[in-house]
Amino acid sequence: MVAVPGTPDADGRADVEASKPIWIWRWARAAYNEIMLLLRTSSGRIGLPLIALHLFIAIVGPSLTPYPHTEFHLEHRLEGPSLEFLLGTDQFGRDLLSRILSGATSIITMSVVGSAFGIAIGTAIGISSGYKGGMVDEVVMRIMDGFMSFPGLLLALLVATMARGLEIPLMSAQFEEKVFIVITIAVVFIPRVARVLRSAALTIKELEFVQSARLRGEPGWYIVFREILPNTAPVLGVEASVRLSYAILLASSLGFLGLGVQPPSPDWGRMINESRQFITTSTTFTLVPAIAIATLVIGINLVADGLREAHQLPKETPQ
Amino acid sequence: MTQVLDAPGAIGPADDAPLLEIENLGVTFYTPRGTVRAVRDASLTVRRGEVVGIVGESGCGKSTVAFAALGYLPGTAVVEGSVRFEGQDISELSEAELRDLRGGRVAMVYQDPATSLNPTMRVGPQLEEVLREHLNLSQESAQQRTLELFESVGLSDPERVVKSYPHELSGGMQQRVVIAMALACEPRLLVMDEPTTGLDVTTEATILDLVAELKDRVNAGIIFVSHNLGVIARVADRVVVMYSGETVEQAPVREVFKQSRHPYTAGLLECVPRRGAEGEATPRLRSIPGSVLSADEVADSECLFASRCPLATEQCRSEAPAMRSVGDTHESRCFFPEQVRAEIWGDAELRAARVSDPNAAPVLAVENLEVFYSSPRKKYLLFGPPAEPPVRAVVNVDFEVKPTRTLGIVGESGSRKSTIARAIVGLTPKTGGEIELETNSLAALVEDRDDDARAALRMVFQNPTASLNPRRPIRHGIVRSLRRFSGLSKDEAGTQAGELMLAVGLEPEHLDRFPTEFSGGQQQRIALAAAFAADPAMIVADEAVSALDVSVQAQVLNLLADRQREDDVSYIFITHDLGVVRYVSDEILVLYAGHIAEMGATEDVLPTPSHPYTEALLSAAPTPDPDAERTRIRLEGAVPTLREAFTGCFFAGRCPRKIGDICDQQQPPQQSDSQRPGHIINCHIPIDELTRLQRSDPEVTARTNGEND
Repeated sequence: MVAVPGTPDADGRADVEASKPIWIWRWARAAYNEIMLLLRTSSGRIGLPLIALHLFIAIVGPSLTPYPHTEFHLEHRLEGPSLEFLLGTDQFGRDLLSRILSGATSIITMSVVGSAFGIAIGTAIGISSGYKGGMVDEVVMRIMDGFMSFPGLLLALLVATMARGLEIPLMSAQFEEKVFIVITIAVVFIPRVARVLRSAALTIKELEFVQSARLRGEPGWYIVFREILPNTAPVLGVEASVRLSYAILLASSLGFLGLGVQPPSPDWGRMINESRQFITTSTTFTLVPAIAIATLVIGINLVADGLREAHQLPKETPQ
Repeated sequence: MTQVLDAPGAIGPADDAPLLEIENLGVTFYTPRGTVRAVRDASLTVRRGEVVGIVGESGCGKSTVAFAALGYLPGTAVVEGSVRFEGQDISELSEAELRDLRGGRVAMVYQDPATSLNPTMRVGPQLEEVLREHLNLSQESAQQRTLELFESVGLSDPERVVKSYPHELSGGMQQRVVIAMALACEPRLLVMDEPTTGLDVTTEATILDLVAELKDRVNAGIIFVSHNLGVIARVADRVVVMYSGETVEQAPVREVFKQSRHPYTAGLLECVPRRGAEGEATPRLRSIPGSVLSADEVADSECLFASRCPLATEQCRSEAPAMRSVGDTHESRCFFPEQVRAEIWGDAELRAARVSDPNAAPVLAVENLEVFYSSPRKKYLLFGPPAEPPVRAVVNVDFEVKPTRTLGIVGESGSRKSTIARAIVGLTPKTGGEIELETNSLAALVEDRDDDARAALRMVFQNPTASLNPRRPIRHGIVRSLRRFSGLSKDEAGTQAGELMLAVGLEPEHLDRFPTEFSGGQQQRIALAAAFAADPAMIVADEAVSALDVSVQAQVLNLLADRQREDDVSYIFITHDLGVVRYVSDEILVLYAGHIAEMGATEDVLPTPSHPYTEALLSAAPTPDPDAERTRIRLEGAVPTLREAFTGCFFAGRCPRKIGDICDQQQPPQQSDSQRPGHIINCHIPIDELTRLQRSDPEVTARTNGEND
């Protein structure tokens, strides 16, 4: 059974006599399999292109703008879609398509990074607390409950307002704004993720392989991160997809309230707010960013649903 | 034949027309993990008034066949062949007609009674619902009939049961309720899928008595599915043996057990560890080499058993045999049925005798062990003493294990044997007493012990799949043990892991595979390899073979015995299976509700004189011998959970040999035979008296406490 290390052999298994990057290869192959599986579901077939589209405009969008997003066209204010301005214009005559394309990066980046931090820290806290049990678990969970008793948006407002006063050197004001939004998202998510992961840890820690690890004398952190954590993957996957869509809504809401990135940066949420006073003149101005946000969130939700459904499909369909 | 009178609606003497005819059934499931051919070719017939036992190991398709009899297969299943109930093909029925069939004429009893009952409804209304739905009875007559039904299945306080929720009843009572529900509409066919597998052996015995009684009383046909040969021997009239999705042998029960005509059946019977005659040297268990082939490895044109069969010839590998008649109502799927004898599975090798020094210092000495669970709720919400007295799980347990010896701990669920195991090993902290490993006192929690102690005392668990981290290749557990305890480098550990795999009969090349790619028996062997990794002095095996099929169990037991001789390791072997414990142990400890009932060498504990509880266990345990003489000592109730220290004997509540008030008032003394000082029995009845009673009057009717099962 000689094979090139890292490539699948006749059984479809890539045998591991290879060097270090093997786990990257395994991850890539797993991701590819997931995508193929996903495309077998109707949810996946709609959601995946939506996400792909948004990812695309997040990455290359700013360079594809037909006009610079700050350029005013005062003769064409609040116009609907036309050949000249494919998605219409805003109150200063700025091309909405260009603004959407430019704004994609920041909202997606902030949401993803914020979710990532929130999930990472929440997971660490949740699993550790669940594994430790006893008084430590009680205290930590009550602190988490405290944070959760604030409505998410209110907590976000609190963090944003407190943070506004601070000035961190070495960071441009714009970057600082984004950092605060990321922090806000993370803080809102940590207790919620912690609670879910704690409950997963409670079941897993009773399983025999965890007991075996205790019997080997493995230290607590090892058990938490190397034995329990990998087994929370299904739960984490679901949490991640739910949190990501909420993060986008949260970031947009903050933008709407004026707490997001400040003008002239194009923030989708803020654009919706600005459009409010002109809504009778130009519904396009409101709809365009709203649809942008909505399609992104729907895409994420469809992919999440699709993944769940895909894992229950039979491998072959009966004749 | 006599008319059956008290089952209105029962047609009368067993008709000769078959009730259920399954012909050439094939069932294929389309699942996310692949296509599974669960049943390839199964045919069987059931008549009224007979119990057909379907026996086989896991994955053989027996449960699928049982479900097919009800037409109760999921949408992902594709069915070939025919299932005819009372002459009518089930696949031709509409949904409404099928609903009518199930519950009305065919009923099913599942393995886990707790999940068969709705936990949010009281039990009485659940049965009434069945009656009103299928028989259109009024509320009042349904309630009346419910009480009658509960009484007919042996529940002694039907009014109380009717008002109870399922969780308020014991496992045996729940199963009786489920059986009552199944009988509610006087079904013609009763399908029972492993109904006693989840129950204690004493409870199981009472349920099996009930099934035998039902057979006579209700004149229904019964399909009884089980993997336990002893249960089948006790209950079935005819037996169907299945292997890998096919029926391989069908015969009356006596013929299957005494004169089997298929190599697999003969092999299975040889794998069962039995209580042999006294004084015999322990033979190696014969086991069936290899394992069940996975679905994609099998060609349709060979005998599925050929790769493991001692009689296999070229013909077997090129042609698939069909079921053929080999006698009166005896069929076998083999080309050479007349050659089948127990001996084809090899001579029983005797194991080399073990060298053990009776005066050696014990490896493990446990003294006055106590494990109490205190209530987490406090009296004043957050402060004060605990709200309830602690659960006295393990009380005053003393024992020793000498080097290279095996101590078997037997008891039913609730006896706290797992608690003792966990306390010894340090997963659950002891609250009192001393545990000494090679004269070093051990800390209560494993986290507080030093590495040497942890290396010397290892554990193997009941559930082999859960014992391995599903997200890590199997080398992970073995290599971690080696590196932590022996300080080996990654490469050295890898090499040694390979050697350990060979020692447990697996291939080192498979070290990078994941646990889900292995069968249960292989997973358990991997767990054993990890346990042997650091050359332990003692391994605690907590029901290590209970979840395994009989043929796999034999392989693992042989493996354990071989390693014991080679590595000088001692075992504490915990099990509820008396056959296994007799086979494996040098000394036996019989545990009841956290107290020692009896302890001593195996040859002393099992024959008389025995503690009354031991006696009851032995009486209840089913053996794979349909002709075995059985005493009928039956215990009512379940093993209690104790909170208060009581004044009398721990077994007084259920003891069939209770002699009077002294049993309730004084703790039983520890008695031992003058000739056998190592054998202790904790009972008020003097040993001579016990011996006399048990030899002359073995059957004692159980004392009813007003509580049953």
